[in-house]
Amino acid sequence: MAATNVGSYEHSTAKLHTVAIKRMAIHAIIFFCFIGLWEFGSRMGWLDPLFYPRPSAILHSFWLIYVENGNIWFHLYATMSLVLFGWIAGSVLGIALGSLVGFNPLVRRFLKPYVIVLEATPRIAVAPLLIAALGFGSMSKIAIIMLVCFFAPFINTLSGVVNVNEDRLELFRSLRASKMQVLRKLVLPDAIPVIMSGERLALTAALSGALVAEFIQRDQGIGSLILVYTRNLNMASAFACIFTLTVLGFLIFKGMEMLDRYIAFWKYEEGRVRISQKRREKMKGTSHVG
Amino acid sequence: MIHPNMAAIDQDVVVSGLNVGKTFAAGTVIALQDATFNIKRGSFVSLVGPSGCGKSTLLRLVSGLITPSSGEINVHGTPVLGPRSDISMMFQKATLLDWRTALENVLLPTEFQRTLTKADKSRAMELLELVGLKDFAFSFPAQLSGGMQQRVALARLLQTGADILLLDEPFGALDEFTREHLNIELMRIVAEVGATTIFVTHNITEAIFLADQVVVMTSRPGKMAKIIDVELERPRALSIQTSVAFNKLVEDVRDTLEAV
Amino acid sequence: MSDRIKTGNLKNQGAVPASDANMPVFDQLFDLALRLLPHLALFIAIIAVWEIAVATQLITSIIIPRPSAIGGAIVELYITKGTIYRHFIVTFSESVLGFCIGAAIAVGLAVCSALVESFRRYVIPYAVVLNVTPGIALTPVIIAWFGYGMGSKIALAAIISFFPIFVNTLTGLTQFDEDREELFRSLGASKVQVFAKLRVPAALPLLFAGLKIGLTTALIGAVVAEFAQATDGVGVLMSRFSFQLNMAASLATLLSMTAIGLILFYSMEFIDDQIVFWRRESRREEKSRARAKAWKKRAGK
Repeated sequence: MAATNVGSYEHSTAKLHTVAIKRMAIHAIIFFCFIGLWEFGSRMGWLDPLFYPRPSAILHSFWLIYVENGNIWFHLYATMSLVLFGWIAGSVLGIALGSLVGFNPLVRRFLKPYVIVLEATPRIAVAPLLIAALGFGSMSKIAIIMLVCFFAPFINTLSGVVNVNEDRLELFRSLRASKMQVLRKLVLPDAIPVIMSGERLALTAALSGALVAEFIQRDQGIGSLILVYTRNLNMASAFACIFTLTVLGFLIFKGMEMLDRYIAFWKYEEGRVRISQKRREKMKGTSHVG
Repeated sequence: MIHPNMAAIDQDVVVSGLNVGKTFAAGTVIALQDATFNIKRGSFVSLVGPSGCGKSTLLRLVSGLITPSSGEINVHGTPVLGPRSDISMMFQKATLLDWRTALENVLLPTEFQRTLTKADKSRAMELLELVGLKDFAFSFPAQLSGGMQQRVALARLLQTGADILLLDEPFGALDEFTREHLNIELMRIVAEVGATTIFVTHNITEAIFLADQVVVMTSRPGKMAKIIDVELERPRALSIQTSVAFNKLVEDVRDTLEAV
Repeated sequence: MSDRIKTGNLKNQGAVPASDANMPVFDQLFDLALRLLPHLALFIAIIAVWEIAVATQLITSIIIPRPSAIGGAIVELYITKGTIYRHFIVTFSESVLGFCIGAAIAVGLAVCSALVESFRRYVIPYAVVLNVTPGIALTPVIIAWFGYGMGSKIALAAIISFFPIFVNTLTGLTQFDEDREELFRSLGASKVQVFAKLRVPAALPLLFAGLKIGLTTALIGAVVAEFAQATDGVGVLMSRFSFQLNMAASLATLLSMTAIGLILFYSMEFIDDQIVFWRRESRREEKSRARAKAWKKRAGK
């Protein structure tokens, strides 16, 4: 009996393995067919290689801009340093104002129409205005980045602060908690998950803001690179830059996810188990209770 | 509880109410009318009745979360003006904070009073052991079942060390088996701690099983209809619910409710 | 902390608060005006302070124009010279057309993905790649491919609005309510019927959430593409005014963009409300009255 069970267990895991491998294979086949067709079509002249770069050309460009000329590194640094700075500054501002407004029902009521108007406006549209006003250079870029990534943290923090669970508020009241205690022990931790999701949106917006600023200013950064390459019809290099942004975007996505799992740990089973263990050990280390 | 028509002032009375009434919506809704009661130290009182009979309102008035529209309530000789440290309340929903472990949730009341000491933490641990959750002290609410969450809430209730415990249908959302189990636990704990307990429920069996006195309340408007003494011996086992004496009490309660 | 009022008690005591719908029309209007008044007052106060601050040179930079100048620009753009209408319509159409194309493709792909498991599995990685890439980065390439006219703006709008709509629709269609699924199965519904009568209606709220986001992003796409290269559109207009340092006109144009954004958003809200009627109490009542009426009519015949 036991032997059959073990056998069937092994059989099923082996089956899962083959299924997974099969799927990976199909993914790979689809991908390479796509690439292959593209390359083939380009060489046959169906796709104008000037406008629609071949995969081989794109690969070659990757080599050029990353290794041979290595010019992309500077531009990557230029863009990302501004993005990170603007993101943090914009978020801090957004969270601070969001909390302030959240705690003040009167301010909230009066601010509401302006928030609605602000929400409907594409904030990124202010880019030319800011550049014209603050001049070309990093300052206007940072201003644009801060503007675009201010909104999501602001709205989310506001919502998180306002929408506190009624039952929990009553519990705190029954325990005679002071306003400060309600803030520190209830409102803030409760708002963390929603603030984190706002941060992710903000970072994405910050990157877009930086790109738009660079499109207009055309001085440095990935955005400028893409623009210049496209103008010179060096589509292969332009695509190489775009794919770089894809990788960057993916890293941002994964990075924010990891951050979320770390900060809002209680929303994830893995986080709960991990911190649970940590707290248990901490207790064992400091007390006599076994 | 001493019946209202015995006028003697008993030192042993810890919770008392005189002509307590509560109206809402500018007097158009009478939630509670003319409640008068005296509760002795260490007794277990159940408030039972249908929805709208004012039992939860009465409990909230005693806890200080709301104030009476008429009459007054005294606890330990002083009027109740708001939530107090000598009164502890448990709600129908466990309302645990999901970013805190069970132990940290139990410690919440103490955190509001002072910086936590080692003694506080061991006490919280002991309470979790008392409710049978020693192995889950470091688990998060999301990892606990409904019954376990209510047990954490129970431990939290006891953490304050208050000797007046108010429970508002705490086991109403649980299945029958868990509820029965927790009823037994509750009686054991209350006996050990020596607390005075007021327990609100719409379940007649539960009300009688737990209590020394059952206050039957009726609605429209909410008032105390009858106080029934439960003279069954303690400690009580579930089997007592099939006894003749028990069922006579159930009949008594039902008759009172139907008489309205 | 308000005291708990159980509606049961309210009915029992025979007390019912006067419902707003029973008030005479004049009173309703008066009530509305009263509620708007503080906002209006605040707005006027802000404008006044701003005007004075610039006039008295408290704020001297060129960046911040006087409200009166902005007002003047608005008048000029909309009334005296009427230059804005052409641009307004251009950007509006670019956004809407781009959105429609993006939405059509997104919903189509989402439906296919929801129906065919393997399709979803093999399409998802590409959708994720599209999502993770900042759509704005494609602007120069799109313009190179689609030219300087409206085509490139529509294309960018479509590409940028694709992903939010796709992911929301897919999530909506693949959500699994065990109780309801079981009910349908027990009633002998076919797979198609389950999809059409359960999955699709259940997905509508999320679908519309995605459409709203998509519409907003489409506008952004259109405007950004206009910045890069265009002759017509509010984006171009704004850019032009900015670099001429005509800040008043620039801000006036920005307000036009806000107007477009508001029109788009509230149109979508309206459509959402019409189709997903079961979420709002007043709409539910409307619909149930309408259906009762239709029933009586048919029964009468």
